[in-house]
Amino acid sequence: MFLIALAVLLVLAFGISWLLATYVPINIGVATLIVGLVLGYMGQRSRFCTISGLRDFYLVKDSYRLKGLIGIIIGGIIGFNLVKVISGEFEFPGVPDFPMLSQGLEVEPIILLPLSIIGAFGMAFFSVMAEGCPFRQHVMAGEGYLSGILYLFGLLLGVIFFDVVITPFLQVFTIAF
Amino acid sequence: MQIKLGKFNLTLKKPSLKLAPNMALLTGIAMGVLAAIAQGFFNVQPPVGDGVCAVSHPANLINWLSNTIFNTEFTIHGIFVGIPVLTSVGFILGSTAAALKNKEFRFRKGPVRDNIFAFMLGFIIINFGLLWGSCPIRTAILASYGMVWAMLVLLAIVLGVIASCEYIKWKVRRM
Repeated sequence: MFLIALAVLLVLAFGISWLLATYVPINIGVATLIVGLVLGYMGQRSRFCTISGLRDFYLVKDSYRLKGLIGIIIGGIIGFNLVKVISGEFEFPGVPDFPMLSQGLEVEPIILLPLSIIGAFGMAFFSVMAEGCPFRQHVMAGEGYLSGILYLFGLLLGVIFFDVVITPFLQVFTIAF
Repeated sequence: MQIKLGKFNLTLKKPSLKLAPNMALLTGIAMGVLAAIAQGFFNVQPPVGDGVCAVSHPANLINWLSNTIFNTEFTIHGIFVGIPVLTSVGFILGSTAAALKNKEFRFRKGPVRDNIFAFMLGFIIINFGLLWGSCPIRTAILASYGMVWAMLVLLAIVLGVIASCEYIKWKVRRM
């Protein structure tokens, strides 16, 4: 049953995308909105959460949500290779050549690399307290949870704070290195 | 519930709160596949692996709105300079549609009971997230593309979750 659902999902996703990209030129805004709608719907039905998946498995050995994180990696490999195959066999014009990465970030200042690790660690640490990853908070806000809505307001202000305070600081910090 | 439409009898099932087995796995696979499709078919790149993200996409949208309305010059990913990225709006609308369809939508307090704490968590998490520039979903997508650095960052996320769980357990033991 699961494999049938997966096959239907793949055929639908690639078929509709191929038709849309070929016959109905839609811009990036609409494309990202459609992707968001589909994933928001599925995320609500499945209670998908990357952070809770890791937390549940660590605390109570429940692997239901952890499978979602594993699914992203499986889906990434499947999707990447299918796009490559489609673009290669049919010479689909809309598919650019996005290479399989094998190296690290293309950044010169070495200080950004430990900052990335600290950022990811901190994001995960506090996301456990928030009971969900940033995606799950979007879904919870859509379900009517007050904490999810307030989290998104905090996120909004946080982005502005990052732009106004952290980014200029990082620029000065990295130039020093 | 049964509805009669002339000759046709429609039977509507009650919405079920049970989770379908492997639905989370299917959602994860859909995320990976749709991220590749967004990049491949609809050119949602550069940067690479930016098809789905719950940190950089809302940040790009907020920066785009700020730049458009207030003429600021906040950084936006090259591809989203002209057109706003609406993934996060889609997440919320999609989730609302699913919740309404299954009669699960209602305004209520969330798992974080303290409102100020929930707000602060959003503020703190986005600042940590933007230091790396991606949410765990995009990190996993980049790792699946073979990015070694993303694999290390994914490990840091796992360690962050373990540290937080241990901190909460320690705090509960002290109470």
